[in-house]
Parts: sequence; C-alpha cells; structure tokens
Amino acid sequence: MTNTEDNIVLTEAVFYTLLALHTPLHGYGIMQETKRMTGGRLVLSAGTLYGAISSMLEKGWIKALPEEEESRRKEYVITEQGRNIARTELIRLQELVNNGNKIINN
Amino acid sequence: MKKTVRKIFFLWEYEKEEAWINQMAKEGWMLIHTGFRKYVFEKGTPGTYTYRLELLEKDTHSPESKSYLDFLQETGIEIVGECLNWVYLRCKTADCKFDPGTRPLYKLTHLLKIQDFFNTIRLIFMIVIALCIVGIFILEHPQPTPVIDFFKGFCVGISLASSVMMLLFAPYFNRINRKVKAAIKDLYTCN
Repeated sequence: MTNTEDNIVLTEAVFYTLLALHTPLHGYGIMQETKRMTGGRLVLSAGTLYGAISSMLEKGWIKALPEEEESRRKEYVITEQGRNIARTELIRLQELVNNGNKIINN
Repeated sequence: MKKTVRKIFFLWEYEKEEAWINQMAKEGWMLIHTGFRKYVFEKGTPGTYTYRLELLEKDTHSPESKSYLDFLQETGIEIVGECLNWVYLRCKTADCKFDPGTRPLYKLTHLLKIQDFFNTIRLIFMIVIALCIVGIFILEHPQPTPVIDFFKGFCVGISLASSVMMLLFAPYFNRINRKVKAAIKDLYTCN
C-alpha cells in the first residue's frame, strides 16, 4: 500500500460499510443497511463484503465484537481510526461534488 | 424427484460447468450435491436458485476458507458441493448475494486466483513430463526385460497423455492471461 492514510481513496463498498458500522452490525446487516441507504442501487455481494471486512479488520478501521454464545454471527463496529478515515473521505467526496457542481451544473 | 447426471468437466472448464449447472436450474433441476463427476439434481421451480463455482485460495477445510464459507452462509448462500479448492455455491435468484463479476476489483481478484491455480496445474504437468522423460532415458540402457518394457511404455504413455492435456489446456491458459490483462486495464478507470 503506497497511499498514506491522509491520502486514501476508499471504494464504495468500504465507505458504505464504514457508514453502516456506526452502529454494530453483522455481515448480512451491513448488506441490508447499504441497500437501504442507496435505495437498492448498491447491493454488496458476500464476496466483496468479506474482502472489505477482512482488510478493514487488519487495518484496525473496524473491530469484531465479542461473540454471543447463542449466535454464530459475528458483529462488527467502526473504531476511532475508522471514523477518522470516513471523515477524511467525506471531505474528499465533498470537494469532488463541489467541483463537479461548479463545472457540470455551472 | 431426484436425478443423477454423470458428466466430466476438466478443471479449467469451470465456466462451462457453471453455465451448465445454471442452465439446469433454469430448466427446473436444482443441483443439491456433487461427487466425483457426479451431479445430483432435484426437481424444483425453474430459476429458484443461481449457482456459482468459486475457487478458494486454500482447501475448503483450512481455517481461512472455513471462516469465508461461514460468512457466506450467514448471508444466505448455501454450499452444495466441493472439489479440491473449488466450491459449488447457490443462493436464491430473487435475493442473490453473488457478485455479478463486473466490478474490476472483484474480477481481478477472482481471475488472479484462477491464474494461480492454472499455473500450478501447468507446473504439475511439466514436472510429470520431465520425470517421465528422465525415466525413459534411464530405462534405455539395461537389457530389456518385460518389466523394463512395461515401465518404459508407462513413462511414454504418461508423458504423451500429459502433453495432450497441456495442449488441450493451452487455449484456456492463454484466455485467462488475456482476461487478467484486461481486468488490470479496467482498474485504471473504475474501482
């Protein structure tokens, strides 16, 4: 990874997963929440989500909550580092939207 | 109602195999179990399930693959069969959790795994051919006896068979390399 953490461009799957994990959710919950937020436009596939979750766990952007005995499903939640990453990305996206608006919508 | 179909697909014919299984599902035959060149189908409503063949990096019993497969199952994907590192997955077509395979990043990771797998197959064939050729040379010197003749014939047979397999396999190998290159190009414009 050559990007420094202030200069990261997130994939859509990662950004929405970070948004969804502002409240603790399991994998299927993240898929449903993303679908709800985007009005059905972005449907995360299980494979993509698994890749995104493993990579974010490794980087420490999200963490797994201790498993409850009766449930096999793992729940995840965003960490402070993850919140910072999402905030930085939001600023970048805002700049993108502002410049797009200025030029395309004039 | 169930039916068993015996059919052979070479390991590199995974796309053909997946297309065939999905075609069966469209005709109302849902794959419920796989074995060595054996497919067990159950009659159901046509198109209920969509099937996917996926290659895992490690064998299906490794902790990494188990954790991945558990995750898939949590989201409603079912595992209907496995063969080496390949798994046969299915999910309800109406609520499909499979990646359509159009996102370049997903496509590339999937293709790289297959390319890696193909490289391993090719290496195995090459080692087998090399060993057989060495064997033929070694068996050249002694006085021929029926046993030596048998082993020599065996080496010739195996090396010829492996060469034929490699030739059959070559177009698939080239195709996967071309696909990897195309997927890398796509990454420049989309993620």
